[in-house]
Amino acid sequence: MSLLNLLPHLLNGIALGLLFSLIALGFMLILGLMEQINLAHGSLFALGAYFAYAICGAKLPLPPDVLIAWAGVPLGLRFATAVVVAPILVAPFGLVLERLMRRTYGRDPLYGLLLTFGVAMVLEELIRVVWGTRDYMMPVPRDMSGGFIMLDLIWSTYRFWAAGMAIVAMGAVWFIVERTRFGAMVKAGAHDSEIVQALGIDLTRLRVWVFVLGTMLAAFAGVIMAPLWGIRPHMGVDAVVPAFLIIVLGGVGSFWGAALGGLLVGMVVGLSGAYASEWSMLSMYLLLIVVVTFRARGLFGKKSVLEA
Amino acid sequence: MAAARTVPSFTPAMLVTWILFATVPFWIERVGLYQYLGVEILIFALYALAYNLVLGHAGLPSFGHGAFFGIGAYAFGLAQSNIAPNLWVCLAVAAFAAAIAGAFVALFISHRRGIYYALMTIAFGQIFWFIAIKAHRITGGEDGLLKIERLPASLGITTFNLGSNIALYYFVLAVFAVVSFLLWRLVHSPFGRVVKAIKQNEIRARFVGYDVWRYKAAVLVVSTTLSGLAGGLFAMAQTSAFPDVMSLHYSGYVVMMTLVGGGLVSFWGPVIGAVAFFLARDVIGSFTTGWMLWFGLSFVVLVLFKPEGIAGIFAGVMKGRDKIVPRPAAAPQSQAR
Repeated sequence: MSLLNLLPHLLNGIALGLLFSLIALGFMLILGLMEQINLAHGSLFALGAYFAYAICGAKLPLPPDVLIAWAGVPLGLRFATAVVVAPILVAPFGLVLERLMRRTYGRDPLYGLLLTFGVAMVLEELIRVVWGTRDYMMPVPRDMSGGFIMLDLIWSTYRFWAAGMAIVAMGAVWFIVERTRFGAMVKAGAHDSEIVQALGIDLTRLRVWVFVLGTMLAAFAGVIMAPLWGIRPHMGVDAVVPAFLIIVLGGVGSFWGAALGGLLVGMVVGLSGAYASEWSMLSMYLLLIVVVTFRARGLFGKKSVLEA
Repeated sequence: MAAARTVPSFTPAMLVTWILFATVPFWIERVGLYQYLGVEILIFALYALAYNLVLGHAGLPSFGHGAFFGIGAYAFGLAQSNIAPNLWVCLAVAAFAAAIAGAFVALFISHRRGIYYALMTIAFGQIFWFIAIKAHRITGGEDGLLKIERLPASLGITTFNLGSNIALYYFVLAVFAVVSFLLWRLVHSPFGRVVKAIKQNEIRARFVGYDVWRYKAAVLVVSTTLSGLAGGLFAMAQTSAFPDVMSLHYSGYVVMMTLVGGGLVSFWGPVIGAVAFFLARDVIGSFTTGWMLWFGLSFVVLVLFKPEGIAGIFAGVMKGRDKIVPRPAAAPQSQAR
């Protein structure tokens, strides 16, 4: 197989990797800045996708004439609305979850893990009760769907749109965490909470916002991933497993670790797909085991309380 | 160790549990349930007891135990058609295959604990699950491994046919009794005490001179071996083996059973949890399809307010007063509430 033949697999892998990075980033925010593991991240991701479907497909619990009017709006505008509104609709779920998780602060991290696992189960079941077990396809605006030909190969247009949106969202997160006062306070709070509180900063309030930001990122990732993966109740698990794999691979608490870990996983899955498409998803687990065997804290990991 | 309180080999709780289970076939149909449910409950009670060795006794949160249960189920089926259609051989192969898989995983994760342990066990669990789905030629893929027979149990002099659910139930109960007795002994042996010490403070246990890595690896292997045995019994009960028991969901179910029953504080907690889980599935499930919603919610409530589970509530009632849950100390990292 020549290198040129591998190129599409590599590029598709990078696009997939950017989306994985985006899913992992919301997870990492909560893990790295709050030292809480959120196994329900995948369910919030799935909720984002379902809400986006409901908005795009005009299947909302609203009066019929409003719905008919809304269905007449061009799909492009409906899709754009879904990208913005779905994460906002999912945010309250994150708020409630954060509220519940407060009870587990200061206890064995196992309780946070168990709690969020239970919440993940509940949310997934809730999705089944509300939307049923069938798969849905997310409609994509015409300008973003279809394919184009480059280097004599057919490429999926939406994949590049999705990767582009992922880059924008990740850039925004990087800016918030690294370049704003809010980010500085939150990072300082993760580093030494007592001093930060002594300076008169309300850390509890900050943490709520971090959690909401992480939740909205999960939902946003769900919206842009929905057209690629399809919408089904267990899509949350399909998303959360690669996400924490990437976190362990990249190292807990590192922005660039999550970004690079996602890209690495995407490329490995993409390239191994060229040789054995059936088994491509297995490659990311093997990558994790190889990396973690030689670098116990992942690529960029620092010591964290999670090891205690 | 000499000064340690001695624990009797037999306890009233053990006998009561066994006798209670022994009466089940006589009344289970009168209360509107069915014999096969009893078999399922017993097998999962055995599985949850084995799992609790890791979660409750060693404090290691494994979220990938379904893999070992599933490996046992597949090994039972494959041994039957490829090695010898003998019950004892097949069960031994099931336990042995899960032991090998457990030892392999233990090599990579025994130096870890807490969240990292959970994440790595999820990764390994997913690997085994993925292989089970994709290796069509060996496991039958998503269609599963079918036509597994309920082999007769030969005891030299006599042979029992396990074809009926009641016969199988009593066979599983016999295995359950033996395994629960051995586990009780193991938990209260010097080995079990070291494992408990590691749960409380791993670093201190290491400083005292225990080879913590080896103890953690050993406890995982014992747990996976018995999970594989339970998986082999389950393959026999179902007369087939499917990859879904290896999924993250099923791995989570055993965690839920163990915790809901009270595995963190009680040896028999996981058994209570398995009973509660299947009763919830069948009883709530007969009213609504979303039974997991209610079971999941009760799990969440228990984690938040009563991590000691049903066994903890029961113990509290027995003492005539509600045991007060130790309030979480002000979090070191945050100003909780």
